[in-house]
Amino acid sequence: MNLDEALHTFVVEARELLQNMEESLLDIERGMADDDAINAIFRAAHTIKGSAGLFGLDFVVEFTHIAENVLDMVRSGELKMDGAMTALMLQVCDHLNLLVECVAREALPEAADASSGKALTDCLMQYLGSYKAAAMPVESEARVESLGGGVESGCWHISLRFGKDVLRYGMDPLSFIRYLGKMGRIVSIHILTDGVPRLSEIDPESCYLGFEISFESDADKAAIEGVFEFVREDCRIGILPPHSKIGEYLALIRELPEDEMRLGDILVECGTLTAGELEEALKIQNAGEPRPIGEVLVEQSMVQAPVVEAALEKQKQVRESRNSENSLIRVDSAKLDQLINLVGELIIVGSSASLIAQKAAMGELLEVTSTMSRMVEEVRDTALSLRMVQIGATFNRFQRVVRDVSRELGKDIRLVISGAETELDKTVVEKIGDPLTHLVRNSMDHGIESAPVREARGKPAQGTLKLNAYHDSGSIVIEVSDDGGGLNREKILKKAVEKGLVQPDAELSDKEIYQLIFEAGFSTADAVSNLSGRGVGMDVVRRNIQDLRGTIELESREGMGTTTKIRLPLTLSIIDGFLVGVGTSSYVIPLDMVVECIELDAAERESGDNGYINLRGEVLPFVRLRELFEVEGMASIRQNVVVVQYAGQRAGFVVDTLEGELQTVIKPLGRVFGGVRGIGGFTILGSGEVALILDVQRLVQQATDRELGNNALPEIASERKR
Amino acid sequence: MATILVIDDSASLRQVVSIALKGAGYSVIEACDGKDALSKLDGQKINLIVSDVNMPNMDGITFVREAKKLPAYKFTPVIMLTTEAGEKMKQEGQAAGAKAWVVKPFKPEQMLAAVSKLVAP
Repeated sequence: MNLDEALHTFVVEARELLQNMEESLLDIERGMADDDAINAIFRAAHTIKGSAGLFGLDFVVEFTHIAENVLDMVRSGELKMDGAMTALMLQVCDHLNLLVECVAREALPEAADASSGKALTDCLMQYLGSYKAAAMPVESEARVESLGGGVESGCWHISLRFGKDVLRYGMDPLSFIRYLGKMGRIVSIHILTDGVPRLSEIDPESCYLGFEISFESDADKAAIEGVFEFVREDCRIGILPPHSKIGEYLALIRELPEDEMRLGDILVECGTLTAGELEEALKIQNAGEPRPIGEVLVEQSMVQAPVVEAALEKQKQVRESRNSENSLIRVDSAKLDQLINLVGELIIVGSSASLIAQKAAMGELLEVTSTMSRMVEEVRDTALSLRMVQIGATFNRFQRVVRDVSRELGKDIRLVISGAETELDKTVVEKIGDPLTHLVRNSMDHGIESAPVREARGKPAQGTLKLNAYHDSGSIVIEVSDDGGGLNREKILKKAVEKGLVQPDAELSDKEIYQLIFEAGFSTADAVSNLSGRGVGMDVVRRNIQDLRGTIELESREGMGTTTKIRLPLTLSIIDGFLVGVGTSSYVIPLDMVVECIELDAAERESGDNGYINLRGEVLPFVRLRELFEVEGMASIRQNVVVVQYAGQRAGFVVDTLEGELQTVIKPLGRVFGGVRGIGGFTILGSGEVALILDVQRLVQQATDRELGNNALPEIASERKR
Repeated sequence: MATILVIDDSASLRQVVSIALKGAGYSVIEACDGKDALSKLDGQKINLIVSDVNMPNMDGITFVREAKKLPAYKFTPVIMLTTEAGEKMKQEGQAAGAKAWVVKPFKPEQMLAAVSKLVAP
């Protein structure tokens, strides 16, 4: 029998296995899915991979390896064997058949087949996700190898303490030492017989021996360790490199795997301490009064102090990471919602208590209530942070979207994700998916040009789409950016004029022009494609974002690309608010939007209704809340302006009184008030009164629109003035 | 001469492993699954067992558990053929008494190295 015959056997066998695999898959498709069928499919892939590896058929191994991993997840129940999966696996089956026929012809796969294989691999990779990181264990070995590289000459010192049970597992200590002898020269062996009990107590099936070996070899540490691979778990093995320096030990300690280990074990592991030394040190430690092992080691000059310190540091790190790993629990999100509701109620009751304390003017009571409100604040922050989740999972879903859409469009686009660890409220994360999908598709369809156009413009043929998230002063910013053609200012303006959104002679800033895209019924796409360009996209996106109390804006440079910024509040239910009064009514302005408070001086008041004041030389549009909400009664003599800022735009709210900060639970308005503009919700004050929470974003927009009212958006502005 | 029992449901894998081991001076017996392998454990001298885990009829772990019950093979070392994804399998195999393993896919020389660590030809 020779290898050629074996290869022939492989081809025959693989054909049979693939036939079985296909039959099982078809059974599953007909609804006869059971564990046996799935197992059979898995085994087919597994067997083909194993045999192909032996023949060095790497192209078969690579492909089958990925398919096998996906099947393994199906087998363990992580993935479902649904219609899509069955279809995919049938394709895998076909491709494997093709590869096997290549082997039979003793040829490599042709280019077309290779690319279809690549596409299939990509599909499979989608299922694997994070799994692929753990795919091949080769890297870790390479790392160990490089660590052992510090040896120039001299003898290795190897201490072996075989476990009692090695013989029971059929492991003969002698066979390992014999194998070691193949790698170099064994200079001397010292056999330790201390462990051997008295004859009457000897168990003939147990191993009691230890060995201290002086070994001369060019092999690196990984190779020497590899000799004892099969007994490593039951035995204590110390491999001490010759002429090593402290620096090397320190590097070794830092590079140790994150396992919980005792200090001695860490030192033994990095090779600075042998098992024998450790045993000795432990004996000394046990004899005297209790003290740390590190101290003993340094005192006995077995290990240098800096090495011990590094090892201790490592130990601490490991423990910390362990602790954080263990402390994760799953909680029903309904319970969290309830907790946050309760915290909300607590805040209201708390502020009611503070109010009473203030009225009673009792020093002690005031002190207690102020401490309490501080605690409540902390409880609130902690409770809210429980609802925070990382946006990474949402971002990662777009890998698939980008891949599919770029194929559909015939463009080569890669997705770059950053800021995946940014946390935001779970509700927001859930609702941001749809608008993000719209934006991503838009960028890919209209933003990024086709490869020939890109090359003509001197850009790389592959387009880049970036998703980024970060915190910015009390809100979260999510960016979708592309390196495409950017927005065409003239085209948008022309379209807007056509649609009657702006007047032809209007003078608009770039930013204002870009915002026009979000108007309903607006689309500049030359051709309406399957994906976007039907003019329903962007205004829906804006509405979705606004429902989350967020804003959206565009930045664009012609020829360079477009960035869409979505700004969202951190949480939806509880905010720090600023309480103001108009007549007998109270209003709350979210505190993170308040910039400053100034008094509206007499001159400004006289100047009447032009809608803006001079704030240190800047034009500040303002809204009189009294007029806006038609509060009855005369304006008080002294009036204040609360200057708010939202997404870079400032405006002033004219109010009667400033009442100060408070924590507020946002209660949604009932459906009856659905049409009310300028109010984001309401809250109950400590006194039991109701205060309305201002929708700063809308009001700022309204104020600034009116400022531009003369030229930009006449009909909208006039409509709002009514 | 040391005798090795090679168990795998793939005939081609068995063939290649046999070629490699025979070339190094071992003698080889083949079996296609756990059941077949058990029938070969009839008292004949076997110095080492190489067994796949995932096989029809009887899987490798059950086989090792059964083999370890036979007095003649109680101390016979076992090399399991695992996948890199099969950490759980590895643990199960160890509990059954198979302490050594080779990760699939492997090259013939890797198999030879593992075998010669445990048994001389």
